[in-house]
Amino acid sequence: MPPIINEDICTGCGICAERCPQDVFFGSERKKPPVVSFPEECWHCYACVMDCPTEGAITLRTPVPMMLNYK
Amino acid sequence: MQSDVLSEEIMETDVLVIGGGPAGLMAAINAAEKGASVIVVDKANTKRSGAGACGNDHFRAYIPEFHGSDMESVVEEVWKSQAGWTRSYEFMKTWISNTYDIVRMWDSWGIPMKQNGKWDFAGHTFPGGTFTTLHYDGINQKPILTEQAKKRGVKIVNRVAVFDLIADQDGRISGAVGVHAREDRVITFLSRAVVLSTGGCVRLYSGITPGWLFNRADPPHTTGDGRAMAYRAGAELINMEIPARWAGPKYFARCGKGTWIGVLRDPQDNPVGPFVEKPDRRYGDPISDFYKEVFEDYHKSGRGPVYMDCRGISDSDYKYMMHFMRHEALNGILNHFEEEGIDPKNNPVEFMTYEMSSRGGIYYNERGETSLEGLYAAGDEYFGGVSGASTIGWLAGANAADFVEKRKSPSSNTGKDKALEVANMVKEIRNRKNCPAWQEFNIAINQVMTDYAGPVRSATLLEAGSLHLQRIKKKAYEIMQAGNQHELLHCLEVLNLLDVAESVFSAVSERKETRDKFKRVDYPYKNPFFDNKVLVCRKAADGPVLEWRSLK
Repeated sequence: MPPIINEDICTGCGICAERCPQDVFFGSERKKPPVVSFPEECWHCYACVMDCPTEGAITLRTPVPMMLNYK
Repeated sequence: MQSDVLSEEIMETDVLVIGGGPAGLMAAINAAEKGASVIVVDKANTKRSGAGACGNDHFRAYIPEFHGSDMESVVEEVWKSQAGWTRSYEFMKTWISNTYDIVRMWDSWGIPMKQNGKWDFAGHTFPGGTFTTLHYDGINQKPILTEQAKKRGVKIVNRVAVFDLIADQDGRISGAVGVHAREDRVITFLSRAVVLSTGGCVRLYSGITPGWLFNRADPPHTTGDGRAMAYRAGAELINMEIPARWAGPKYFARCGKGTWIGVLRDPQDNPVGPFVEKPDRRYGDPISDFYKEVFEDYHKSGRGPVYMDCRGISDSDYKYMMHFMRHEALNGILNHFEEEGIDPKNNPVEFMTYEMSSRGGIYYNERGETSLEGLYAAGDEYFGGVSGASTIGWLAGANAADFVEKRKSPSSNTGKDKALEVANMVKEIRNRKNCPAWQEFNIAINQVMTDYAGPVRSATLLEAGSLHLQRIKKKAYEIMQAGNQHELLHCLEVLNLLDVAESVFSAVSERKETRDKFKRVDYPYKNPFFDNKVLVCRKAADGPVLEWRSLK
């Protein structure tokens, strides 16, 4: 479930937890990689990915029920 | 039982703005420019909250350099496309006539409103129609508006969910009580005017993915909080019975279909609408603007699915579409294209009609005034998209500041009773054990709305559904529990949804006719008595009161 944190490169700046409108990072502590407390509440708005200063530290995965149908 | 949570946390200001989207931030900026002290309180963070959180790409506007002196055709087009018979023409005129100023202001603040130095209108129109949507680069609109507000001394209070309004001895709105999203705190705001701008009401009807509460076309954290607190305070709501449907990519619920440049086609590649035959950036495919149920109807009749087919798009239109998909906050879709190797140039993507919602909201006029003195509202508290939000928000902020000027004496209400009431309620919710969580109630609300006030509407169904809704509401107040502060906020959202649901049930029951998208199976005809009238709903001591009003 989204988001996925790459703890090897996350600097623990806390911007994602500060800005997530759904507050999926509720319970995160300062200067530590964020905890994903409510992954099922992610709306895939990408605020966390867009505003993260370390590219690749956060990625979002599309849940299977939300896969597009295409031909 | 007295709560010990109440720690006398009080913040005072002239104008309190509840909800920091384009409407709220513009209201705050203008009120501050008029000399008022302003607090913006947001249950998330104004930098990335609400429907404009990560951007928008089109803005309804009248630009003299583009349209010439003919503003009226822009007003007319926007009025029609927004279910004109439910709206006042005067309101539309004031909105559109102010857009030029707002657009130039945004551009000067660093929100790029032009493309290569030119005004660029495209989408949401048909060949021969009037262009009304200005394409712009809105991805950073919220951080920029937040910065502009701060520059003018506006105080931003993030992560506080306001639950109820405070009225003074004369019934004027003079503050609000909020609950912190992360800490066990109840905060009282005392003000001389309040602007509500909390956004729309999502999560009322069952979404497209069964059992999944957050797969929604609009942001699921906008739960009609403003409507509900206004309703509880006695303010008038309007159009609550009128249904709205949105449409977009199947299974990945997301607004922004106007940004796609393609042709909507059936499985045999025939266009389902009459307007376009090949992808054209100027129009998109407007059939789904006029007929959002096209996907559902094709599906139900076995002729579906219907695809958004971008095959044949020119390279420059493709680049244009991808650029604006980012600004319209379709990053989730773009990422999914990459994950799965979907290329819209080669792969038609199935679209669908999303669940029902209510078109209605707080009855505010072109000055942002509501039916209660001291209470203003703007933006998706009613309707208007980012353009309506920023324009009416701007005007509401000025009018709220004027009101503060005139209102010499501060309120005598210290808000203590309301703060204590909220604090006690919050404490009970947090202290309960072995009780149902907010999700059970939210799903129960979705069920009853969809089954009894959804696509099939009749007096007997409405009566039965309303009874069930009242039982759910009673139970929610008695036994809903939250294990932490985050769940507590969802509990408050559920209580708000219940009040919005109540107003929808009452209004649907009152409109005994069929008109446009509003359908009653027991009254399958248009009642001429309701021509040029709108239905207004407010809460009285013993329940909702409905009133028909002439639309000026």
